Amino acid sequence: MRLPVLIIGGGLSGLAAAVRISRFGQRVLLVEQHTRPGGLNSWFIRNKTLFETGLHAITNFAEPGNKHAPLNRLLRQLKIKRSEIEFCPQLGSKILFENCETLRFSNDFNLFETEISEKFPGSIDNFRSLLTFLQQFDAFAPAPFRSARAFLDKIIAEPLLTEMLLCPLMYYGSSNENDMDLGQFAIMFHAIFLEGMFRPRGSIKEFIDLLLRHIQENGGEIRTGCRVQNITQQKNCAVAVMENGEEIECNYILSTIGSQETESLLQRDRGIKDDTPRLSFVENIFQLPYEALPAGAQETTIIFFNHGEKFHYQRPQSSIDPRSGVICFPSGFKGIARRELVEIRTTHLAATEKWEQLAMVPEAYQQEKKRCSELSCSTAESLIGDFAHAVTFRDMFTPLTIKRYTGKIDGAIYGHPNKIKDGNIGLSNIFLAGTDQGFLGIVGSMLSGVSIVNQHILPRL
Amino acid sequence: MTGEDIKDLILEIIEDIDDEADLASLDPAEPLREQLDLDSMDFLDIVMELRKRHQLQIPEEDYPNLATLNSCVIYLEPLLKDK
Ligand SMILES: Cc1cc2nc3c(=O)[nH]c(=O)nc-3n(C[C@H](O)[C@H](O)[C@H](O)COP(=O)(O)OP(=O)(O)OC[C@H]3O[C@@H](n4cnc5c(N)ncnc54)[C@H](O)[C@@H]3O)c2cc1C
Repeated sequence: MRLPVLIIGGGLSGLAAAVRISRFGQRVLLVEQHTRPGGLNSWFIRNKTLFETGLHAITNFAEPGNKHAPLNRLLRQLKIKRSEIEFCPQLGSKILFENCETLRFSNDFNLFETEISEKFPGSIDNFRSLLTFLQQFDAFAPAPFRSARAFLDKIIAEPLLTEMLLCPLMYYGSSNENDMDLGQFAIMFHAIFLEGMFRPRGSIKEFIDLLLRHIQENGGEIRTGCRVQNITQQKNCAVAVMENGEEIECNYILSTIGSQETESLLQRDRGIKDDTPRLSFVENIFQLPYEALPAGAQETTIIFFNHGEKFHYQRPQSSIDPRSGVICFPSGFKGIARRELVEIRTTHLAATEKWEQLAMVPEAYQQEKKRCSELSCSTAESLIGDFAHAVTFRDMFTPLTIKRYTGKIDGAIYGHPNKIKDGNIGLSNIFLAGTDQGFLGIVGSMLSGVSIVNQHILPRL
Repeated sequence: MTGEDIKDLILEIIEDIDDEADLASLDPAEPLREQLDLDSMDFLDIVMELRKRHQLQIPEEDYPNLATLNSCVIYLEPLLKDK
C-alpha cells in the first residue's frame, strides 16, 4: 500500500513536519534510526537522572498575542496551544570577552541597547543603524551568500563590538567558519537579541513527548530503531528501503538527515566525499548541588565567552579550542523547578578529525576526553568561579558521539556550510528539511520542517 | 450548502486556526489575509481544512479564488452544492 508521506529522521524538524502533515488527517510515517526520537536534542538516563543531550535555551521567545512572532506562528501551524507548554524565560545572559568587555542581555532588548551605549558609546549610532537595517531587511528572500562580517565591518566602527555581536549568533547558528550569511545573521539577531530565550519548565523529554502525542492523536505513525538504507525515485513515487529490507512506497519523502547524507541514501554522491570544512563541537555536562553554583551563576542563564579581542570561529588545530565557548546554566530560567542537583554545561569548538584519530586507540580517546573535560572545567572556573570540587557527575560528548547517535557527517551539528533554503534537491517528490535546509536550532529546525511541508508537500497531497 | 453556510464554514475554520481572530468586523468584500493579519502559512490552513472536512482538492492555481469571503462563496458554492 502506498503511503502519502514518509519522513526520514525523528529530530525536531522531522517531528514538527509530522505534526503538521497529520494535523490535516493526512497519513504520514516518520522513521528514526535511533531507538529514541529527538535527534540532536534528545535525552539519556545516567544515575537515575535524566540528562538532556543538547538543550541550553530555546531562542525566539514571544509573549502570547504577538501573532507574527516565529514561536507563535510555529505553535499555530502545529495546532499546539501555548498552554500545553510552560514557558520559563531566561534570567539574563552575557557576552564576555575576557580582558576586553562584557555585554549583558536579556529578553528585554533595552538592556542590550543600554549596555552597548555605555560600553561602546562611539558605536551606538552604528548599532542603531544596524537595527533600522534589520527591521526592513527580508532575511527569507532567496539570495546568494552575503558575508555578515563584511557587512558589519562597514557599519560598525569598533571591531570589538562586531566580534561580540557575532560570537553568540555564530555559536547558536552558523555553519560557516568565521562568518555567517547575512540572512542567517538577521534571523539569529532577531531570535536571540530581539526576541530572547526561554526553556520549557519540564525537560526536553516532555517537549518531545508533546510532539509525539500530537502526531499520534492526529493519526500519524512513528517508528524508531528504523534506519533508512537507501531511497530511489521512481516514475510517480519514491521508495525507501529500510535496514531490515522492508520497502516503503510513498508519494513524497521528506528527508531531515542532511543534504550529503540524503545524497548518499539516493546513491547520487558516487562515493565522493565533499570535504568542505564542517564545524563541530564538544559539549560538557557538570552536575553539582545548587548551593555549589559560584556566586552570580544562580542569576545567569548563558555566557558566551572569548579570550581576547578576536573571536575565532573555526575548526581548531587541537581536539578542542578552549579560547571561546558557551557556558549554560539550565537552572537559570524564571519559574524553573528548583532541584537539589543542577548542571553547568559548556560548549567549545572541536576538531572531528583529531577525535577520529584518537578513537583508533580507545584509551587515548578516553584520556583526551578526560583532559578536555578538565580543561573546559578550569576555563569555566576562571570566568565564573570555582565549582570543580562540587561536581557529582560529569559527561562529555565529542563530535563522534554526535555522529554515532544522529549519523551527521563529521558529527557537525550545524551540517553542511551551504544550505538548500528551498528544500529542493532536484527531485519532484523528495525534499530536504532540517539542518541543511538552513534554519538552525530548536525553533528553527521545527519551522524548517513546517515550511518545507507547506511549500512542497501539503498543497499537492 | 448555501452561500451563508459556506461563509459560516470559512469563519469556523478561521476561528479554529486563530482563536483571537476578530471575525465580527470582517468585510466580506476585502481580502481575508490583510484583515485578519494572516500570513501565507495560515492561509494554507484554510485550504487544508476544506480538504479535511469536505474532501475538496483545491489546486494551487485556484488559491486566489479564496482571497475574500465573497470570492470563497462564489468559488466554493458549485463545489459544495451537494454537501
Ligand atoms: C549539544 C547540543 C546543544 C544544542 N543546544 C541547543 C540549544 O540550546 N538551543 C537550540 O535551539 N538548539 C540547540 N542545539 C541545536 C538543535 O538541537 C538542532 O539545531 C536541531 O535539533 C536540529 O534538528 P534536525 O531535526 O534538523 O536534525 P537532527 O536532530 O539531527 O535530526 C535528524 C534525525 O535523523 C535521524 N537519522 C539520520 N539518518 C537516518 C536514517 N538513514 N534513517 C532514519 N533516521 C535517520 C537521526 O538519528 C536524527 O534523529 C544543540 C545541539 C547540540 C548537539
